[in-house]
Amino acid sequence: MSDESALVVQDDGPVRHLIFNRPEKLNALDLDQHARIKRAVETAATEPDVRVLALSGNGRAFCAGDDLRAEAPVGDDPLAGRRVELEVGAGPVLLLESAAALRACPKPTVALMHGHALGSGYDYSLSCDFRVATADVNYGDPRIHRALWAAEGWAYKLPRLVNQAVVAPIAYLGETMDGATARERGLLHEVYPPGADVRTEAAPFLRDLASLDAAAYAETKAHILAGGDIAFEQALGVA
Amino acid sequence: MQVRKQDAITTVAFGGGLLDYAATEALREAVRVADADEGVRLLVLDCDSGGDAWPDMGEWPERLRHRRPKGAHGPGPLPEQEAIKALRAFMKPTLALLRAKTLGLALDFACVCDLRLASADAEIGDPRIRQGRAAATGIAYLLPKLIGQAHAMRVLLLGEVLDAAEAKRIGLVHEVAPASGFAERAEALAAEVAALPTRAWAVHKLQVLPQLDLPFDAAMTHSLGVRQTHVIEDRAEGMRAWRERRAPEFTGR
Repeated sequence: MSDESALVVQDDGPVRHLIFNRPEKLNALDLDQHARIKRAVETAATEPDVRVLALSGNGRAFCAGDDLRAEAPVGDDPLAGRRVELEVGAGPVLLLESAAALRACPKPTVALMHGHALGSGYDYSLSCDFRVATADVNYGDPRIHRALWAAEGWAYKLPRLVNQAVVAPIAYLGETMDGATARERGLLHEVYPPGADVRTEAAPFLRDLASLDAAAYAETKAHILAGGDIAFEQALGVA
Repeated sequence: MQVRKQDAITTVAFGGGLLDYAATEALREAVRVADADEGVRLLVLDCDSGGDAWPDMGEWPERLRHRRPKGAHGPGPLPEQEAIKALRAFMKPTLALLRAKTLGLALDFACVCDLRLASADAEIGDPRIRQGRAAATGIAYLLPKLIGQAHAMRVLLLGEVLDAAEAKRIGLVHEVAPASGFAERAEALAAEVAALPTRAWAVHKLQVLPQLDLPFDAAMTHSLGVRQTHVIEDRAEGMRAWRERRAPEFTGR
């Protein structure tokens, strides 16, 4: 059985914090952690008292990416039958589905980032409505520098968040960004002082999100997410 | 139109002239050859050109004889489109160099590349609307996605020619290098890209480009399919180098 303390679920009033808690691994994600995130997001989506979902990390980093040393789970893994058994290794099904669940969450979702926020951790942040970080964050997707697979949704999400011209340095060159650069490129909503506690700094913003009308937020979010993929006439039909 | 291959880099240079059908056919052929050549890991497009040779594009390509349209609007942009489509379908890295003039059709070609490096003295834009004609060679699709609709309208509808600094500000180019050191910077960037695991780059492009036009669920399924049908041999070297804490040496396979 996996170590459930690896993902801390903690409520601060109406704000549900999902906190990556493997600080000794810089919160690197193994497949169990992806499954935990998916369950926690789906639970939060259905609980009426939860008005905002915030992802953050304990220790020196938000998330350093996938845990490259992790063993693939075996046995009672519910997705065992869907694992990709090619030489490319375990498939991205779990991460893809957990990141998709986060994107589909009708409530406000925010990634609170500090230290390293890389690879699949960066991918989760792209599933959120808002991204905030400390100025000294090391943010991006350097997986191409190790020729690693990156196939869990960023390719869809990134060009819809920012202009496609910005996609190339991030996705193809694998450039990582500090807070100012990521903000300039449109990826960060707020940037906090270097070394600041990101949960403390973001608290007013999270409270503001929690005060919004939940139904109006959910409907607006659904229109925005669908609107990226449909023609104008169809979009008017949705509204 | 000059094509040269050095080490793992193929460079196609427009050479300052106007682009005609012979040029677009030569570009299309250069892309085909670079795609087939396992040793090529980067295509550089030196987009120095004031645009197409309208209204005299030269001989309609024999290969497309059966598709030549007739009528008041002239022969049509099919040969240009075919070169653009070949570049768009080319999954190895592509780097556009924008120096002197990169206008009209040359800008189409620059915009279909993955990266754009401009010289500080470059003139960049699409004056075709000022010539009383509409660009029908891809830029109407590419530009709003690259720089957002607001800036795209300005470039396409006003036909405004931008300097390099403004092109950088609106995201149309990724980097501006001083004119005096442009060749050196272009060479260094090309060498850096060519040393990357370029098969992984291709797998990234293979996801980003089709998924621009897919709904989310279809995009996720698409990514699964890409992952299951493509092998990146360099991945093993990437992992080894990570474990051994050294810089990886990639083959591009």
